[in-house]
Amino acid sequence: MAGRRALRSGSPVVPLLPRRAFLAGLTLATLTTGAASACGRSSPVGREAAGPGSLSVGAIPDQDPEVLQRLYGTVADSLSAALDLDVAYTPVTDYGAAVSLFRTGDLDLVWFGGLTGVQARLQTPGATTIAQRDVDADFHSVFVVQSATGLAASDDLRPLAGLRFTYGAETSTSGRLMPAWFLQQAGVDPQGFPGGPAFSGSHDATLQLVASGSYQAGVLNEQVWAARTAEGAVDPSVVAYARTPGYPDYHWLLGPRAADLAGPLRDFFTGLRADDPADAAVLDLFGAGSFVPARASDYDRIEQIGRELGLVT
Amino acid sequence: MTVRLGAATVLDDVDLTVGAGERVALAGASGAGKSTLLGVVNGTVPPSGGSVRVLGADPAALRGAALRRLRARVGTVHQHLELAGALRVVHEVNAGRLGSWPALRAAWSLVRPQGVADVVAALEQVGLADRVFDRTDALSGGQRQRVAVARVLVQRPDLVLADEPASALDPVLTERVLGLLAGPADRGGALLAALHDPALALRHCDRVVGLAAGRVVLDAPAAALTVADLAALYGTAA
Amino acid sequence: MTALLARPAAAVPRLRRDRRRWAWGLAALAAVCWSATGALDGVNPAGAAQFGAFAAAALSPALDGAFLGVLATAALVTVAYAVLGTALAVLLGALGAVAAARSTWGRRRLGRLATRGVLAVPRGLHEAVWGLLLVNVLGLDPWVGVLAIGLPYGAVTATVFGALLDEVPRGPYEALRAAGAGRLAAALYGLLPRAAGGLLSYACYRLECAVRSAVVLGLVGAGGLGYQLSLSFGSLRWPQVWSAVYALALLCLAADVAGRAVRRRLAAPRRRAGVLSRDRVLTAAVLGTLVAGAWSWWFLALSPASLVSARAREQAGFVLRAAWPPSADGDLLRSVAAAAVVTVQTSVLAVVLAAVGAVLVAGVAARPAGRCSPLRRLAGVLVRLGLLLLRAVPAPVWALVLLFVLLPGVLPGAVALGVYTLGVLGRLAAEAVEEADAGPRAALTALGAHPAGGWLYGVAPLVAGPVLAYALYRWEVTVRDTLLVGLLGAGGLGALLASELAAFDWPAVATVLTATVVLTLAVDLVGDRARRALR
Repeated sequence: MAGRRALRSGSPVVPLLPRRAFLAGLTLATLTTGAASACGRSSPVGREAAGPGSLSVGAIPDQDPEVLQRLYGTVADSLSAALDLDVAYTPVTDYGAAVSLFRTGDLDLVWFGGLTGVQARLQTPGATTIAQRDVDADFHSVFVVQSATGLAASDDLRPLAGLRFTYGAETSTSGRLMPAWFLQQAGVDPQGFPGGPAFSGSHDATLQLVASGSYQAGVLNEQVWAARTAEGAVDPSVVAYARTPGYPDYHWLLGPRAADLAGPLRDFFTGLRADDPADAAVLDLFGAGSFVPARASDYDRIEQIGRELGLVT
Repeated sequence: MTVRLGAATVLDDVDLTVGAGERVALAGASGAGKSTLLGVVNGTVPPSGGSVRVLGADPAALRGAALRRLRARVGTVHQHLELAGALRVVHEVNAGRLGSWPALRAAWSLVRPQGVADVVAALEQVGLADRVFDRTDALSGGQRQRVAVARVLVQRPDLVLADEPASALDPVLTERVLGLLAGPADRGGALLAALHDPALALRHCDRVVGLAAGRVVLDAPAAALTVADLAALYGTAA
Repeated sequence: MTALLARPAAAVPRLRRDRRRWAWGLAALAAVCWSATGALDGVNPAGAAQFGAFAAAALSPALDGAFLGVLATAALVTVAYAVLGTALAVLLGALGAVAAARSTWGRRRLGRLATRGVLAVPRGLHEAVWGLLLVNVLGLDPWVGVLAIGLPYGAVTATVFGALLDEVPRGPYEALRAAGAGRLAAALYGLLPRAAGGLLSYACYRLECAVRSAVVLGLVGAGGLGYQLSLSFGSLRWPQVWSAVYALALLCLAADVAGRAVRRRLAAPRRRAGVLSRDRVLTAAVLGTLVAGAWSWWFLALSPASLVSARAREQAGFVLRAAWPPSADGDLLRSVAAAAVVTVQTSVLAVVLAAVGAVLVAGVAARPAGRCSPLRRLAGVLVRLGLLLLRAVPAPVWALVLLFVLLPGVLPGAVALGVYTLGVLGRLAAEAVEEADAGPRAALTALGAHPAGGWLYGVAPLVAGPVLAYALYRWEVTVRDTLLVGLLGAGGLGALLASELAAFDWPAVATVLTATVVLTLAVDLVGDRARRALR
């Protein structure tokens, strides 16, 4: 608005630049631009120079970005050493961005959830499913409630229907898709919570929002729940209510640009041994005993449920 | 009432007393210091030296409610009127009573105008009663000047200060407005008016004070003066 | 005189209200009440502890060297986006201005309407939405940030530049044409010099806005300060969040102060008679901007080739093919309608909160004209600083934090946007008070008015008009921002867009985007009409 006011006051002619100064500026601009194109500077926001011998690793931001940064930093170092590649980790802000950037080829190797993996694979011809953790074939979610609701742990999901409820990210498998599916199976409309369900964005955020009481119930990945409980980081007012049956979840997906690395990568992950200290560091960070090979067909059930709930089109 | 000033440029060492019941005209060329003198009396211009006594009190010694009570007894028709413009006439006139109204009543009056009958009566006297609910900025210059006069009328001050209060009015209205502004003086108050028109000053005032370059150069009863005496103040022959 | 007195006493006229204003006033009141019904869910006192933890961290921002280094780089990225985005916008604006100007089309109204329609589309989408769409085409490329600012800003700039050109007197241009000059030459010598001040001033204002937009783009993943803020927020590290907020505040303050200084100079140039003198400040500002543009280009390592690369073409093709035709599914249309209602309610509440707050703080925030006590001066400085902080924190961050203490629904988004808009509107209202004529108030003080009374009768009437006009204008902006807040977690069309994007349901995305453009256009139209009724 202030600008408009200045305009209305009908400001007269602006003194033009001194020609010499202008020319100097212009020359400087041309020179620096030329220099930039010449030396092929890599952008502080773009991907690293993507050539053969480089691999860009990403992950869905399902938990604390700081933890992810540490986790995937370690993975990248380990991969880099084992396969003799330039490996860089690129953090992303949301699940959808991970899928989009996989499709555009900015991310080559991504740690996807079940649903995001399916989305990414369907949008990216030539994508290969590499491996999953031993725990991923039979993964679980935990429904949590505010202790103020007075609900005691139970297998009956119906009492949740009347509570203000938050999922994790919209396309999280363990924080949205499968819990919604199991709610539907139990006769609860997964979109029908009072005021509509919320999407906290991540498992940790779900815990915080339920602890604050803004939401009375929520659902998150069992692994995160167990880890936070073990750390003592869970607010005592948040209690576990129910555990879902098992379903397949996380896996590594490889993009078409690096398709020839599928074999070595699969060997690398499945070859990680808990008794080797360096390997154990990686396995520990992933909360896994080992990695096992995975195939696209392992996630057919996720795809089918995704289609039913309108999350895969 | 004494005004003693040391303001270097505008008013210089002016000493002036206006007594009860007096109607005093201030005369002088533009820039002689008439408006400044009026401003010093009503408190809008802080004097740089000397002392001012208004209605027997020293405004500089008063604070808060007491100062406001004193100021409520001084009504001014400003040279530039100083109306908000974006208000209806009724509110502009009612603003004359802000000295006696508590803040809440003032606020409520903007929603439901208070004392409309008094306002209409005052406007009636200046011939504007039919415009009471019009927006002030929709009025002509002369009409706005009459709104400012009506504001002083509802204020019912003891001392009236007027700075060219009839500059935009026709002769009939000019007579009328000056008569209205002299009302308080007739009831034991006083009128101090800056007037350009010598004939007007002589007709409506008992005494004329002439200013030139911030100094008093003339102070005489109106009866002893002619139009030509005053015209000399403006540097022109009558 | 006797003739006047002889007239019978006039009957008191009835209080007549301006029908058009009253209609708008009543409509506004109804809209506010209707919006308030959407926000009846109230507060959640239990979340005060979490909110307290956030607020307490304000005093202990993260100051470790490594993090500050990250922030510094991020701030540079944000500045680079802002500078290049504005440069692109000015370029597009200059080209589009000719097409948007009334004078270009003369009597051919259809052509002008068509141009306006074309320009309305990029303008109707928030920069963040552009960012999200562009990420899907260009991937991780600095062009995303530059284009996301440059395209919508370019459309606005073209409209404003067009209007500025229309305002310039045509005499000199016609004279040059009559003397045989070509169209371009005549425009260069006859039109441009007269319009240059306005054009430059507006470009400068756009640069200020671009800094804020660049921050917001970061929140949706485009890099820069907003990106660091969102990462820190994701890990709920409040001290780091506050460090980022302070960095933002500094950046916004710098843009604010520099922009205003330059625009003031433009509005009132200093010149000496007879000497061809140049204003050093202005020359430095223009040169500095040019250098900053070149540096930004180098820093972001922009490469025009990536815009037309095979990959970009392929991805654009993918998205466009997938999005056509837009979905016309009944369920989707119903949820679009419901979401549009929430969006409007949120924006109305936000602006009402902001306007009321702005009126309350304007008096204190305004720099007093004359002498005043040190206490009053201190209060003014504190309030102005507070307003700066309010507008430095992006609205989505407010919304996410407020989710801890407000129950989900319209309220968190509305309060968040209200708080942010208060930061903007408070400053504008304070400026209106500073610029208002001091005479009426002094006159009222002279007749003994209570300070509150003097303010009500002497200041409020003068500033009510401009402040209301600003509020309406901010409402138009707030509707766009509501989308952004929704995109990052609160309700409304933004939330719907986020979930369709998450499901990669491109036909539905196309529908929601269309609804968004239509809604923002409708709001612009209503706001424009209401502002005209105010005049």
